[in-house]
Amino acid sequence: MVFELGEENSDLSGAGGCEPCQVDESEGDSGAESVEVSRRGFLKLAGFGAAVGATVGVSGGCDADLGLVAKNPSGGGGWLPDQYNASGNFPVQVRGRVPIDPTNPSIKRDDQKCILCGQCVEVCSKVETVMHNYELPLIDDIPCVCCGQCTLWCPTGAISEVDDTHLLMRAIEDPNLHVVIQTAPSTRVALGEEFGLPVGTNVEGCQVAALNRIGVDKIFDTNFSADLTIMEEGTELVKRITGEIKTPLPQLTSCCPGWVKFCEYFYPDLIPHLSSAKSPMTMLGAMIKTYYAEKSNIDPKKIFSVAIMPCTAKKFEAIRPEMNHSGIKNGDPTIRDIDLVLTTRELAKLIKRVGLDFVNLPPMKYDSLLSEYSGAGAIFGVTGGVMEAAVRTAYHLLAGEPPKSLLNLEPVRGLAGVKEAKLNIPNVGDVKIAVVSGLHNSHKILERIRNGSGDWHFVEFMACPGGCISGGGQPRSAVPPSDAVRSARINSLYSADEKSTIRLSHENHEIKTIYKDYLGKPNGELPHELLHTHYTDRSKHLTAKIKKTGSEEK
Amino acid sequence: MSKGVLVNLTKCIGCGGCTVACKMYNDNKWVDDRSPSSGENAQLADENWTVVKQFKLFKNDDTQVWRFVKHQCLHCQSPSCVSACFARAFQKTDEGAVVYFPDNCVGCRYCMIACPFKVPKFEWQTPIPVVTKCVMCYGRLKDGKSPACVSVCPEGVMKFGERESLLREAKETIANDSRYVKHIYGEEEAGGTSWIYISDVPFEKIGFNTNVVKKPLPSYTSFYMKCTPIFGAIWVIILTAFYFITKRRNTIKKQSAELSYKKTTENNSDQNQNLPENKIVDKKIE
Repeated sequence: MVFELGEENSDLSGAGGCEPCQVDESEGDSGAESVEVSRRGFLKLAGFGAAVGATVGVSGGCDADLGLVAKNPSGGGGWLPDQYNASGNFPVQVRGRVPIDPTNPSIKRDDQKCILCGQCVEVCSKVETVMHNYELPLIDDIPCVCCGQCTLWCPTGAISEVDDTHLLMRAIEDPNLHVVIQTAPSTRVALGEEFGLPVGTNVEGCQVAALNRIGVDKIFDTNFSADLTIMEEGTELVKRITGEIKTPLPQLTSCCPGWVKFCEYFYPDLIPHLSSAKSPMTMLGAMIKTYYAEKSNIDPKKIFSVAIMPCTAKKFEAIRPEMNHSGIKNGDPTIRDIDLVLTTRELAKLIKRVGLDFVNLPPMKYDSLLSEYSGAGAIFGVTGGVMEAAVRTAYHLLAGEPPKSLLNLEPVRGLAGVKEAKLNIPNVGDVKIAVVSGLHNSHKILERIRNGSGDWHFVEFMACPGGCISGGGQPRSAVPPSDAVRSARINSLYSADEKSTIRLSHENHEIKTIYKDYLGKPNGELPHELLHTHYTDRSKHLTAKIKKTGSEEK
Repeated sequence: MSKGVLVNLTKCIGCGGCTVACKMYNDNKWVDDRSPSSGENAQLADENWTVVKQFKLFKNDDTQVWRFVKHQCLHCQSPSCVSACFARAFQKTDEGAVVYFPDNCVGCRYCMIACPFKVPKFEWQTPIPVVTKCVMCYGRLKDGKSPACVSVCPEGVMKFGERESLLREAKETIANDSRYVKHIYGEEEAGGTSWIYISDVPFEKIGFNTNVVKKPLPSYTSFYMKCTPIFGAIWVIILTAFYFITKRRNTIKKQSAELSYKKTTENNSDQNQNLPENKIVDKKIE
């Protein structure tokens, strides 16, 4: 039997072949019109729709012009800082951001906060002259001197120090560990800013009290080891000047880890000029795990040595492989001089987390043995401070008399990037000194040392402009850091120096005791074992750009 | 007139600023916990339209070097995603960008199979997913601005311009500097791409697919695809012809049946008057 669907075969409907659907048929409403939807009609309609769809699709009906579809391509829903919205291909002056290795021990970045303002690039390439000062391609390192200035310039707080506060809390909670902490000269004049105190307020006593409340076992002062550094570095300088040791002049300071790494990267040929004396932090670290451990009869392995520093580069310095002098002395090279470095900001974070009313804490004193300090040690945190302190003691060592006229060495004070002075010292003659802060100021001096035209005896370098008081770990009291903030902190440290009864490192009683009881003579055998170090040539990890400006300007 | 970007991989320091710019401009989420946008494990994902991947490799077999490779859609001159997409969700614009219209997308993911560089990604995490990929910041491009990632690069790794002039520049650079690999990735790969790369380490060592054919991928199928309308039209003609043939045959059969019935009824009008009419018709047809 042959069937054909549709109206033409309606004659077969009576036989049940294809019964049309009847709508409204059963209802008796006389006004309602019956609508018939046949299977054929439905298929026709569907077929037509499909044909139209296919035609529109194949013929390009999706082109936005036809208006049949959405005109919006994906993307573009966000924003970019206005500096990037220029037409054409113009390179924007201030753009991008600094590279940060995920394994960087000092700084890290939260990408979600970054707004590509370009401030970190500005400070890194122009103030610290690291980024853009090496040739590309990279070798096997993202060059970074760990100074942390970018953390101070970053307006959104995307770049910050690597947060290690949990490690301190873990150590405090560990009953087997004896936690010894030291605080740097310049944290005391900045920590208060995190708690609303005026910029530059000296909160030394409150800082000790806060650390005590947090649960630290012993609190020592890095100012003490600043005096110790002066003893070692000053003696070394005298020996260089008198020709007792055959290392070249000028002697360059080595207490700023950012500067030291910078020198290792960009001026490896000048490494012999660097003083072999360690920085105050690592000196005190070594003393804590030897002298203090012996005196108080504690196993050096159980001492957890923490340093509160104004500096992110100190985190890097602490993990330098050679910083285990106390370990070598104790026969276990795995013992580190410093186990943990926290910045001033991290300490503030910790104090806030613990919930201390910092401002109203009753001030406390540092624990004795490794805490007494002279005014010379106190000003270590200021640009020119190391120089001034060293000159006071070197004068005494060379001339054999107290340096009355040099107690306020005005030419090396202040925020100028390069400061020079000439001192007349009896028995020696003129001693020329220079003070540099901010690494961009170092090139002129270093180029002159390199080509032999610099006749200084001693040059102080600080990576951060203004010295440690404006270090990369200090509170962000002004973004970017301003000279007003720097000056306030500097004045606070100088007034601490003026108020102190002892202003010369070699007159510090605890320093005298430690040399008499333990170390022997400055630059002696034991001091060399514990308080001096060596440096690493890092120039193979980058190709330094040749600085033409320095040699041209001379 | 087609725009392009020349990427000089020797200049990249791995700051990842381009990935941030991409996220900011395109309002993409940070999904670093499942697919990081920079570092050694960086990978393209639905929310990562561009990534900077770190490679620690040995150059000349002895010295270790670090290289950073920016990866995003290469914006082929003859994109296979465009040819694979029947919904026209992908379109190659005059500016050179291969843009994507999510409203057109049906989610078939043919583009993901078609792409030789594995660029389009699917929003597996979303309830109503679509495909995503870099669109070369088309919104900026049509205003004459460079893509967001290009504009923020602090080292000038990427250069935006006419593809032809960039190609000339790239050729000049690699010819005048012995450090460079004598190959411009993207000059011929998959028929040429809008983004072209030069490097001082072999491309296969830094994650580039160097087995991509030089021929434009859509050219493999374009002949057959062009034949489909003709093929369809022929079928329509054939089927219509069959329809009319069948219809005509049925009409003839019907008419002849009616004719023979008429004759039978005339001949047997006396004998068969009591029989039902249709039964006789069936009998006759059978």
